[in-house]
Amino acid sequence: MKREITLHINGRDYPTTVHTHQTLLEVLRDQFHLYGAREGCGVGMCGACTVLLEGKPVSACLSLAVMAEGKSITTIEGLSHDERLHPVQQAYLDQAAFQCAYCTPGFILTTVALLEEHPNPDDDTIRDYLAGNLCRCGSYINILDAVRQCRQSASS
Amino acid sequence: MGELEFLRPKSVADALKMLVAYGDEAKLIAAGSAVVLMLTQRLIAPRYLISLERLQELYSLNHDPGIGLHLGAMVTHYQMESSPAVRTAFPVLANTFHKVANIRIRHQATVGGVLCEADYASDPPAMLIALGALVKAVSPRGERWLDLSELFQDFYQTNLAPDEILTDIFVPEMERGTGATYLKFNTRSSEDRPCVGVAAVIEHNKGICEKLRVVVGAVAGTPQEFPEIEAQANGRALREELAREIGHAYAESIDPISDLRGSGSYRRQVIEVLVRRAILQAGGVT
Repeated sequence: MKREITLHINGRDYPTTVHTHQTLLEVLRDQFHLYGAREGCGVGMCGACTVLLEGKPVSACLSLAVMAEGKSITTIEGLSHDERLHPVQQAYLDQAAFQCAYCTPGFILTTVALLEEHPNPDDDTIRDYLAGNLCRCGSYINILDAVRQCRQSASS
Repeated sequence: MGELEFLRPKSVADALKMLVAYGDEAKLIAAGSAVVLMLTQRLIAPRYLISLERLQELYSLNHDPGIGLHLGAMVTHYQMESSPAVRTAFPVLANTFHKVANIRIRHQATVGGVLCEADYASDPPAMLIALGALVKAVSPRGERWLDLSELFQDFYQTNLAPDEILTDIFVPEMERGTGATYLKFNTRSSEDRPCVGVAAVIEHNKGICEKLRVVVGAVAGTPQEFPEIEAQANGRALREELAREIGHAYAESIDPISDLRGSGSYRRQVIEVLVRRAILQAGGVT
């Protein structure tokens, strides 16, 4: 069944029409052309489709678009402002924390959520929090460096 | 066949009316991490999804000291691992829920959802059973509390009637002098479901075991517990020898499944080791 809903994406309201069975991932990509959220495994294991829902990381492939109605959705496209990268994006660049970059939006958004919760995470906390995001190029060491660069203590 | 409809009742009573009206064509959906997966994999094809999201009465999380922990079905895994009340009164539960899947699933998935899905490869059921948890099921005919161990019937099957909704979970306070542990074994680092999960709860006094519960999850259609083996521990000293004996007996009694996380014979050996370790850890034997 088609349903008219308003999605709150990256700080703005967008009225749209979706099918009930459509996942949030499909709607973000196909209707809003926000291609930063990617389909990897399609079963919630890999983290390539990570978006922030009310600031918390979720798999967009395991959420129906209708269920996101009334909630704030943040995708990778919503992090930079006025052509300025978010500090976490900058850190991933500085540390070359990717090769093919398919997993990068998911990693960056998960890192944003991690830092919101733990502004000064130790290495164990970082590894534990990011364990559900998979990078098949194996850039984990550089990713860890990027997150370390974002720690509160790193900037003081 | 008509297209899927998404319904948002505002009370348990309204949800029950919809459940009765649409019968087999309806599926309840909590936060969706399980139901949406089954939909996208074409494992289920309901006509109606009845969302529990707006049922405010399903979100409570209360710890009543000396009585126990009362949870609404919509409490998330993440709340279970991070709530100060749970971390203080039931650190073993906080730890168990922390071990589930990944941070995204834990933010989304609910306690009621993981129980009703009855996926054999889950962590919370074994631990909650070992702690003696009860669940409340509500239907137009009234409500009933049942022991969580009775809920699970087989792979993905519960004994909830088609017109029942699981609304509440209650975990009785642990007796003073009780130790509890959950050990999870994963076969691969990219795999986040357990190959074997062992929950052990031991009431002990001066090194003597007074009551033992050991529940093994992810190895069969339902969590596995053997009261006659547990009873062998009563009145005996909590030592390595006892833990070995119980571990061996559990490994002999369970007929483990084979799946991509391990063969049956492999699982049997893991069970023997993990049950032993869980008992020693829960009993504080170093």
